[in-house]
Amino acid sequence: MSPLIDIYLMQAIHGLTYGLLLFLVASGFTLVFGLMNVLNIAHAAFYMLGAYLAYTITLHMNNFWLSFLITPPAVGVLGVLIERGLLRKAHKSGHMAEFLLTFGLFFILCQLVIIQWGSVPLPVSGPALFSGKISLMGTSYPMYRLFMLGFSLAVLLVMVLVLVRTRIGMLIRAAVSDSDMVDALGTNVPFLFMVVFGAGAALAGLAGVIAAPFNSAYPSMGLDMLLDCFVIVVIGGFGSLWGALIASLMIGELQSFGVLWVPRFAIVFQFLLMAIVLIIRPSGLFGEKE
Amino acid sequence: MISYWNWPKVLGVGIGILLLFFPKMLSETHINLSIEIFIFALYAVSFNLLWGYGGMLPFGHGALFGVGAYTAGLIFNHIPHMHLLLTLLMAALSGLVSAMVIGFFCVRLKGAYFALLSLAFQMFLFALAWKWRDVTRGDDGMGIVRPSLHLPGLGSISMMNINNLYYFTLIIIVLGILACYLFLRTPLGNSVVCMRENELRASFLGYRPFMTKFTVFSFSGIFAAIAGALFVLFTEFMGTNSIDINMSMAAIFMVLIGGAGHFLGPVLGAAFYTAFQDWISSLTKHWWLIMGIFFIVVILYLQGGLISLLQSERIRFWLGGQNKSANGKNTESRKPV
Repeated sequence: MSPLIDIYLMQAIHGLTYGLLLFLVASGFTLVFGLMNVLNIAHAAFYMLGAYLAYTITLHMNNFWLSFLITPPAVGVLGVLIERGLLRKAHKSGHMAEFLLTFGLFFILCQLVIIQWGSVPLPVSGPALFSGKISLMGTSYPMYRLFMLGFSLAVLLVMVLVLVRTRIGMLIRAAVSDSDMVDALGTNVPFLFMVVFGAGAALAGLAGVIAAPFNSAYPSMGLDMLLDCFVIVVIGGFGSLWGALIASLMIGELQSFGVLWVPRFAIVFQFLLMAIVLIIRPSGLFGEKE
Repeated sequence: MISYWNWPKVLGVGIGILLLFFPKMLSETHINLSIEIFIFALYAVSFNLLWGYGGMLPFGHGALFGVGAYTAGLIFNHIPHMHLLLTLLMAALSGLVSAMVIGFFCVRLKGAYFALLSLAFQMFLFALAWKWRDVTRGDDGMGIVRPSLHLPGLGSISMMNINNLYYFTLIIIVLGILACYLFLRTPLGNSVVCMRENELRASFLGYRPFMTKFTVFSFSGIFAAIAGALFVLFTEFMGTNSIDINMSMAAIFMVLIGGAGHFLGPVLGAAFYTAFQDWISSLTKHWWLIMGIFFIVVILYLQGGLISLLQSERIRFWLGGQNKSANGKNTESRKPV
């Protein structure tokens, strides 16, 4: 195979890996929007928190796998507390108040992270099992990324099964499409809100853990992820899970190839894409018409 | 006895006179702080035209501030002899043009869509400012020299003198805020509020939602850009900090804390935000944390913002005035949430 195709293939796998990572965060973001009609800015902070917790746990317990077990529940509990304690209070004042609340929370969480961990990027050593490189089609490829790819795919699969095959998944999908109706039919919708918010936060935390060895933990990772999430929900359509998946993969590949071809203006492409989608089809690829 | 309905006027005139004598009374640090407050007050008022009155919350208002800043910065650098007022005019024009381009696409959308599309435009402009190093010097930024102001009859007034800069900014800002106020008093300004309340009904009444929102967006862009130009003049530096996302976020903070429900709420918010930042950052470097907590407290417990404290029954009672019901002015904006 020619070296050029090798590079392209490599970038394509990078893009796929990153896209799946994005989906782990964006899925919670889009479900919360679909369910509660709140653009949850704080969601990206959960991702950042996950990475930093992974750093601390790996440092103190010397075992990366432990952070896999501890971090997602911890971040999920934080999400539930935020939903119960703060968001619900603002709920009666309307969506704008809820949105502004998550906006304020995002800044608070970012600041707390800087206070606790400082503003220098912190490298996280990945699991020893996947530390090497593997030879893949003539070139060497970091094992950890392949692990990321496989793990994200597994999480994706579990998530889809839960949403499609279980009763609670069915209720969540129903509530996304019409929460008033589900409420009227006797389901405890506030409880659903809490579950989705908490699970979304846990998933974002998990994504943070996975990303930590590959990206290291740095204070602006929350903001970066937030901007990516914005682009993804817009392209995929607000509230659409499948849209989020397709859009995540698109953005992953776009960033991967953007860096390869036009490194200076790689950042512009995704926003260009977002602007085009908003101008031509504001409801996104899979969103419902307004 | 001061009755309720004229105490704000008395307070306003008092503060006005006080502002005129600030340079005589305050130290240079505080004059600098006041200038910064003025600049952000105009920026916040221009933001509130969209949010409080138009019901549109943009995430990318900093783009217009930044366009004004970069226009002024580039002129200061490359055409240092251009008249200062002409520079401000050019900045205003650049703000108008970019707001017209951005607004043309944005104002058709609502809610989160509107917010995110304006953010997308800001990110383009930010990337341009950041990466087009030949022109903007990227994130290194560029220092500028404050030009003098040439006025017929008064000769050349040096802006390096902090008192002159203070009066110059004060005059421009007061004129700008006045222009925004007068704009809202026009029938066009009223129809902006109409769009916020019920766009469908307004369009049945014969108003054109697109044109109305487009006009207010463009108009708001002028003043955000002027604020940006003054910011460069004041800080003597043109850099990406004037166009990055924090600038947009700052507008939301200032307007929410001050109160979007009143024309002067954003002014109060800008004053509080800037002064508080200055004070708290001398005590701790984590001032964002405190600001964030404060922000959340305001959302949960004080939805009209700080200005609603001044409007509350309690203060009316203290001042001994009788309760006056809503005076029917339809240019009053509502609570943001």
